[in-house]
Amino acid sequence: MTLRKLLLGFAAGLIAGPALAQQAAPAAPAPVPGWAVGRPEGSTLAPHAPRLTVTPLDQVPVGAIKLPPGFQAEVFAHGIPGVRAIAEGPNGTLFAGTRAIGRVYAITRNPDGTTRTRTLLQGLSQPSGLVMIGNSLYVFAVNRVLRYDNIEANLDNPPAPVDLTAAYGLPTEQEHGGNHHWKFVTLGPDGRVYTNVGVNCNVCDTDRDKFALLVSFNPDGSDRRIEARGVRNSVGMAHHPVTRELWATNHGRDWVGNDSPEDSLLRVRRSGEDFGFPFCLGSWADPQFNKGRACSEFSQPAALLGPHTAVLGMRFYTGTMFPEQYRNQIFIARRGSWNREKLSGYDVVVANLDAQGNVTKVEEFLTGFRDDATQKFADRPVEVHVLRDGSLLVSGEQMGAIYRITYRR
Amino acid sequence: MILSRLLAAALLAAAIPCLAAAQDARRGATESERRGAELAAHRCVNCHGADGRSQMPGIPSLAGQQPGFIVIQMILFREGLRHVPAMTAFAEGLPDKDIEDLAAFFASLPPGPPDDRRPRDPALFAAGEALIGPRHCNVCHLPSLTGREQMPRLVGQREDFLARTMAEYRDGLRVGADTQMNGAVMGLSNADLAALAHYLSQRD
Repeated sequence: MTLRKLLLGFAAGLIAGPALAQQAAPAAPAPVPGWAVGRPEGSTLAPHAPRLTVTPLDQVPVGAIKLPPGFQAEVFAHGIPGVRAIAEGPNGTLFAGTRAIGRVYAITRNPDGTTRTRTLLQGLSQPSGLVMIGNSLYVFAVNRVLRYDNIEANLDNPPAPVDLTAAYGLPTEQEHGGNHHWKFVTLGPDGRVYTNVGVNCNVCDTDRDKFALLVSFNPDGSDRRIEARGVRNSVGMAHHPVTRELWATNHGRDWVGNDSPEDSLLRVRRSGEDFGFPFCLGSWADPQFNKGRACSEFSQPAALLGPHTAVLGMRFYTGTMFPEQYRNQIFIARRGSWNREKLSGYDVVVANLDAQGNVTKVEEFLTGFRDDATQKFADRPVEVHVLRDGSLLVSGEQMGAIYRITYRR
Repeated sequence: MILSRLLAAALLAAAIPCLAAAQDARRGATESERRGAELAAHRCVNCHGADGRSQMPGIPSLAGQQPGFIVIQMILFREGLRHVPAMTAFAEGLPDKDIEDLAAFFASLPPGPPDDRRPRDPALFAAGEALIGPRHCNVCHLPSLTGREQMPRLVGQREDFLARTMAEYRDGLRVGADTQMNGAVMGLSNADLAALAHYLSQRD
């Protein structure tokens, strides 16, 4: 039954997709997988292989990291393949999600300042969305939502979870056709849970009430609200510490050239704003899916963050360790490109905001992973997290390490 | 699981002589490949072949396979994310180092077709070849179809294994490190898969 459902789901995704519509009606057009829509013939660009094995400490590329003067980088935790999202418990335990390897890690600090890592959960499908609410860890694995109560007291023997999957009712992997089904999750200042529902293709005439959304829920999964529409896929969100507005990173589509469209930073001023996918991104009209829409009718991004850079985790800096100029500015991890002939991203940037919340500039902060001469990369930053002491954690998915950035005058 | 262990134990005894020969042939190999050969001797070669070329229907050849592909698949077995009963016992609790060494060993072996590869059927071969472009196989597996990193070598693989694997992807029985292959074979008929499998198995 499951098999048939899967098959039907994939088939439905294809039939409903735009791939068929855009072809010049041959008798039986070959269906095109969602990811390949718009792909130029002959291109061999493909996603980079994940590394799912432990990287020995002496091969973790902390030495490659370059930072502004006064900042230092160290390895905070390692031996955690595929590490992505970071959520922190009230007692300071850090929980880390993954995608392909299906694990959730728990990281605790030893009295001597070193860290201990445990594999808390495994065998889950892409458990990349984590959020702590009180003493409960919520794990979002595609559409599955599992709540682990009192988790920090049970790190060696996690309790059976409360299954909230049905209450949240998120689209399944099959409904996504295997596209952009993994989650990022954050807790809003209003106590609601904010997550993404990515688009079910690279680009297509999608159901704009079901996909390409930012949505929020009560923690029990009730009262779904569309926070933003026309957002292709966001894998990073945070609320401004003063204005409480929702901000999000957003991935642009693939296969329209090396330099367009750009990934973007979105500022959601009111619930339900429309950012234009698949018709537009900012002033950029999609060459295949614009449908004659004026891009000015959609909300404009707060900043453009470079083509194919793969912007992911973002957090406002709320600590006091870093110089005052960083206060309430946004740190953004750029995981790095695959759909581009020359690598872009593989770094952490800072978006600077003025008093009105306008982005005045975007500056490089953590660099050194991308080698332009050899077109190789040493690691891929995915999440940023501000610790209580004001230091900044950066997760490196490729090498399975978390780096800690500190500042000394 | 118990059955597969018994089977493996029974086959092991038969495989040990081949194994010594294989190890002799491996002089000059890297440390990782040598260690992988020793590990494979007690587990893998019974079914996958002492030279990494499977002579058993339904069992894939691993000789010359992309090491990144082997590593990821073994981890998916170990983590309980890919379900093949015969592999479960072997992958359970296997350290990363063992997996990497096994992958290095099999990747180092010269690839080639099984001894029982059937003669080429020109019509079936052509039908399979005609599907490669429309299905974008060459994007990830490269025009040579020898694969790269997490994407496997396809040429010279056992025809029966290729046909079954593609059907599993099509029917939602299996995903890889991601779901690209499910999309790639979606909607293909059994006849299409048979043609693709024949073409790939006949390519060298």
